[in-house]
Amino acid sequence: MPTVLAMSDFDLATRSASGFLLRYIAPRVEPVQLLGMLVRRLPFQLSAPQSDIIIGAGHGSEDTFTGQNEAVILEVGKYDPKEVRGKMIKLLSCQTGVELGPDLVKNGATCVLAYVDDYVWVCDADLASTPWADKKFAGKCLMPVIDELNALLDGKSAREALDIELEGYSRNAEVEEDELVKACIEFNRSNAILLGDGGASIRARPSLALPFRLIPPPPLLMPVA
Amino acid sequence: MANAEWEKLKEALKKPATPEAMAEAAQAFKKYQAVELAKGKRSRPTIVTLGYKKTYPNAVPVDKIPDELAKNPEFFKLIGRIIK
Repeated sequence: MPTVLAMSDFDLATRSASGFLLRYIAPRVEPVQLLGMLVRRLPFQLSAPQSDIIIGAGHGSEDTFTGQNEAVILEVGKYDPKEVRGKMIKLLSCQTGVELGPDLVKNGATCVLAYVDDYVWVCDADLASTPWADKKFAGKCLMPVIDELNALLDGKSAREALDIELEGYSRNAEVEEDELVKACIEFNRSNAILLGDGGASIRARPSLALPFRLIPPPPLLMPVA
Repeated sequence: MANAEWEKLKEALKKPATPEAMAEAAQAFKKYQAVELAKGKRSRPTIVTLGYKKTYPNAVPVDKIPDELAKNPEFFKLIGRIIK
């Protein structure tokens, strides 16, 4: 299904978050994938209306979601509703569930998965060039998000996908020995929210009706030696 | 496994963001970290957030958390919300 995957990567936080999306989600979705300098308002504006699902990782606040170098992508009251109408939206960002999420739903988004406080995790700065390899720290928080997105892309409902994310946090927190990492996992779990229609799932596109019938190729006749 | 210093840190973070409370939290974090480092299992961990237009940095190396706790009330409040 057409997906807009916006992955800013200009600092350690965005690089770590986008690294996981790049490694685990990007290979299975159709373009448009906006990475790095492409995560700006105009490319988003052009690609979003044609997508079924919008996935974004970037810095955010209560009313704003940003892309590369904190270029504003979505801000309450400053976007065209057709960019979000009928779409499932996941924002891996801080606090966008407070004002921006409800505004997106009000403007027609089917559902929004976001967070009502900061999204916080511990990552290993030594692995900045291969952030997806950071299983010890960053993976504890970011892999549940990946599991949620994979569930969404597999056709699970938004509610089921959120439950998968929350269960992932619980599982990781239970076995985590580092108190700071554990506190971050529990903090993110308590701030994850779902707005809009929890029963929504990504539409399966009908197969194309061809104006002719496909004929199987004739059997191969091997010459007798 | 929580050590005693972690419990002291939690108590310090429950206080209002006064310079004394912030210094106390910073001290408690340093002691907690000393215990964690003694376990010898860390590389270069950094706490990161996806906040926009915040008064605290988006990335703070874990060993610099005490410095940030001592000088930045907003960061003190954020860590207080995380560590309950």
